[in-house]
Amino acid sequence: MRWRHPVLVGLMLALIPIAAVTAEAGISVRDAWVRETPPGVDMMAGYMVLQNNTSRSQVLVAASSSGFETVMIHRTIVKDGLAGMVHASQTELAPNASLIFAPGGYHLMLMNPKRTLRAGDRVDITLKFRGGLVLPVAYEVRK
Amino acid sequence: MKTISLKFGIKMTTVVLAAVLGGVWLAATYRENGSRAILLPDRVMTLFPDPKPLTDFAFTDHENRVFDLSRLKDKWSFLFFGYTHCPDICPTTLATLARARENIAKSTVGAKDVQFVFISVDPNRDTAGKLGQYVSYFDTAFLGVTGDNAQLGNLAGQLGAAYEVKITPGMENYPVYHTPAVFLVDPRARYHAVFAPPLDAEGISRRFKVLRNLEGPKAI
Repeated sequence: MRWRHPVLVGLMLALIPIAAVTAEAGISVRDAWVRETPPGVDMMAGYMVLQNNTSRSQVLVAASSSGFETVMIHRTIVKDGLAGMVHASQTELAPNASLIFAPGGYHLMLMNPKRTLRAGDRVDITLKFRGGLVLPVAYEVRK
Repeated sequence: MKTISLKFGIKMTTVVLAAVLGGVWLAATYRENGSRAILLPDRVMTLFPDPKPLTDFAFTDHENRVFDLSRLKDKWSFLFFGYTHCPDICPTTLATLARARENIAKSTVGAKDVQFVFISVDPNRDTAGKLGQYVSYFDTAFLGVTGDNAQLGNLAGQLGAAYEVKITPGMENYPVYHTPAVFLVDPRARYHAVFAPPLDAEGISRRFKVLRNLEGPKAI
């Protein structure tokens, strides 16, 4: 009987992270990376594949990171032959579909990194969705 | 299960078709040596049957030397308009061009007769020092140039490129818009071809090598 209690506590403790993962699995992220920049450049871009595993649409409303002064959700668009960036403050993920953040399209605009980021480094960025879902994601810095 | 295999079948057919078309493109180019018409219908590169001679302009390069029309002569030049505060499309394009240059350098002719020029449309923030640091990160052989608005407009106009810098007082990160294409000027300083995004290094270097072969000494 003496051992029963710690075992139960252990089981409960083990279940907590599982519950957290399940809640987050509604939206998953893969291939998250940030492009390394030339020296002296304080504007970076982050990319990833967002996967909505739920049967209803999800909306990415914000992103934040202690690693940068400002993080914004942007999209590069070409209009009348000119490439430019627009804010994508309400980015919708269709039900059971993925949305790709890739060069030349959707990206996280990362301004004024707090430290110099080099290929191989990791930086954490938190994605916020409508309805309060928060997803912390580790991005790998790549060349 | 049937849908999956059908999808896979379609995918494979597409891949095979793309490979066949790619092969046809190269085969046709090599066979029709001397004829540029065969290169015309291409999604990656638009080639002008009658290359347009460029007229004078005056920029300054990242080593504070004059960069004018004479600097475009006796070399093939890949030109790209952008700005260093650009987080997405400019570093992506320069990284692609660096890989394309690497591919060209590996060819028998090499890359000695080729230059890559990044033209900043944001001279307000992009000083020579900043441009030098920026372009050499991607490739030490790259050149960074800029000029005043009149000169930028002059060359952009000749290439059919456009840009817009929306300087806003008190706003550090003002928006800049620019043509995302890469322009190819031949060794006689004529606007010869344009590469439209999405750009890929192999697509650019492969076509360039064929074009350079076809043009050969004619272009110089």
